[in-house]
Amino acid sequence: MLDSIPAALDLIFTFEGIMVLVFGTVLGIILGALPGIGSTVAVAIILPFTLTMSQAPAILLLLAVYAGSVYGGSISAILINTPGTPQSAATCLDGFPMSKRGEAGLALGWSTIASVVGGIASSILLIFAAPQLAAFALNFGPIETFALILLGMTCIVSVSEGSVIKGLLAGAIGVFLSTVGGDPITGEARFTFGDYRLIAGFNLLAVVIGVFALSEVLLRASQKLEAGGGLFKFDGIVIPKLSAWSGRFKGLLKSTAIGCGIGVLPGTGAATAAFISYAEARRSSPNKDNFGQGEPDGIIASESANNAVTGGALVPTLALGIPGDAITAVMLATLTLHGITPGVRLMEENPVLIAAIFAGFFIINILLLPLGMLVSKGAAPLLRLSEAFMLTAICVLCVVGVYFVRGNPFDLLVMVFAGVFGFLLRRQGYPMPPLVIGMVLGPTLEISLRQGLILTDGDFLAFFTGHPIALTLMIVVIFVLSWPIFRSIRKSKVS
Amino acid sequence: MPSFISERSLTGLALLLIGGALYASSFDASYADLGGAFDPTFFPRIILMIWLLLALATLIVEVMRKTPSKPFQALRVLGITIASFLYVLFLTDLGFFLTSVIFCLVILSLLSMRRYLVMVLFSVLVPGSLVVLFNHILTLPLPTSPFTYLF
Repeated sequence: MLDSIPAALDLIFTFEGIMVLVFGTVLGIILGALPGIGSTVAVAIILPFTLTMSQAPAILLLLAVYAGSVYGGSISAILINTPGTPQSAATCLDGFPMSKRGEAGLALGWSTIASVVGGIASSILLIFAAPQLAAFALNFGPIETFALILLGMTCIVSVSEGSVIKGLLAGAIGVFLSTVGGDPITGEARFTFGDYRLIAGFNLLAVVIGVFALSEVLLRASQKLEAGGGLFKFDGIVIPKLSAWSGRFKGLLKSTAIGCGIGVLPGTGAATAAFISYAEARRSSPNKDNFGQGEPDGIIASESANNAVTGGALVPTLALGIPGDAITAVMLATLTLHGITPGVRLMEENPVLIAAIFAGFFIINILLLPLGMLVSKGAAPLLRLSEAFMLTAICVLCVVGVYFVRGNPFDLLVMVFAGVFGFLLRRQGYPMPPLVIGMVLGPTLEISLRQGLILTDGDFLAFFTGHPIALTLMIVVIFVLSWPIFRSIRKSKVS
Repeated sequence: MPSFISERSLTGLALLLIGGALYASSFDASYADLGGAFDPTFFPRIILMIWLLLALATLIVEVMRKTPSKPFQALRVLGITIASFLYVLFLTDLGFFLTSVIFCLVILSLLSMRRYLVMVLFSVLVPGSLVVLFNHILTLPLPTSPFTYLF
């Protein structure tokens, strides 16, 4: 990996590379600050525009939007008490009271420094942990790959807010959608019902944009709209003095470690990390009595943890090809659209690209400090924008994005169908990240299962007898799937 | 209407029926019967069986829970859905700019926007700037109208 760093830096330090990092971070901060867009929709809207780029700038643009949007969520959380992204919900608790006291600039200063520290720490974790994990997974054959992908799909259980059954059903629908079109072994058309446009299968991008962005528009339109509100006085970010950090470094490091650790676990997410870290800070901070009334320790805990998740979540994504959440699922979809097969061989086959991703992610997190200071003041007036304009603009951008990729009107129809389907399911409590995870991992799951069965002459039990890694992974799969059942039984016994 | 029939139980039932229909279609005579893992319908059938089991479990849970339907702006959602379908259907024939201007005006009206001057400015400026960006700066053309090559 170290040998590839000079070539990777050559990729980044071009005009295109630097523009992508700066523009992506600025765009991410703005999109993240707008309530209702969120990191997943922001990344989904930008995805189509990456398809005219070469691989490294495309992935770096998405990473910049991702990291920028997680930070940007804190701007609206602090200024208007509405988190731009769910990850920043915990930031409202102490950020908004500081704004009410006339300290909005200082609150954003604490959140900016905490976000930068969390992001940089997570990029260091990514650089060191991902290659180790990938090296371990290099010896995997189809049977181990099947067990690994199955384990990756069990993260559906953890991203299924509310109902595990509905999450698993959405995942099964996603896997099924991935089977529509040509069979990977025989080439025979499956479930096309005579429509030649389905022979290549459903366009992944059209489905991703439909179920995340368009369904979000329909979901928000189905409720009462926000008219756009007023702001407290805000004259730009005020960086806290060094003396004000006294007694807060320990909390910052602890929250960063919590975010990094939670980020590596598939499906746990930045919002969970922010709340766990906030709860821990509230328990252990010397200023715990001030929590909820504008205490900087609360902002530091939430913002350092949610930004630390970004790099952590990329560890299983890049090392094993397992997306930890909806955003990393979109990242994997991007790799696929750029002709790169995500999986255990990704790092070995694309060392320069991966080194560029690592280095670029590190630079993006450093850029958050100056760009956050520059952009936040300019982005603040956008928070007054009426939701109606934002939703209309998202619709138009969805259409442009999907059409722009292949110029195929059928993809637009697929997007609208996916949007309506996603809206109907989301209204009934079906989560959408499992559907996309299923669609991304489905083809690898199918091919590894069928190759494994061909190797073992159709004996599925042989998957476990001569393959200790596959056996271990399958035991973990069974444990993860049965855990919610044990938990509900235990809960009902206690109650 | 019986209390066990709710929007949620009907969604569960619809998913069960769709899964069942897809599973039945996997036995269509047009598929080559190659047997075992070579069979093109081998994997989809496993997934569809899981789909059916989970849809059945969801249906049972929803019928037992009897969750009442949440009221929502159904007409607005229907309007946006129809407008979106018409937008993508006419996009290639009438061009991106014209269809987008009409689409933006319709969506903003459906979203209860009543500041007419701002609506018109937004509906012209957003698609217009996208046309300038894609068709004239990036030279990656979006569909143009039959009236002029400019938009």
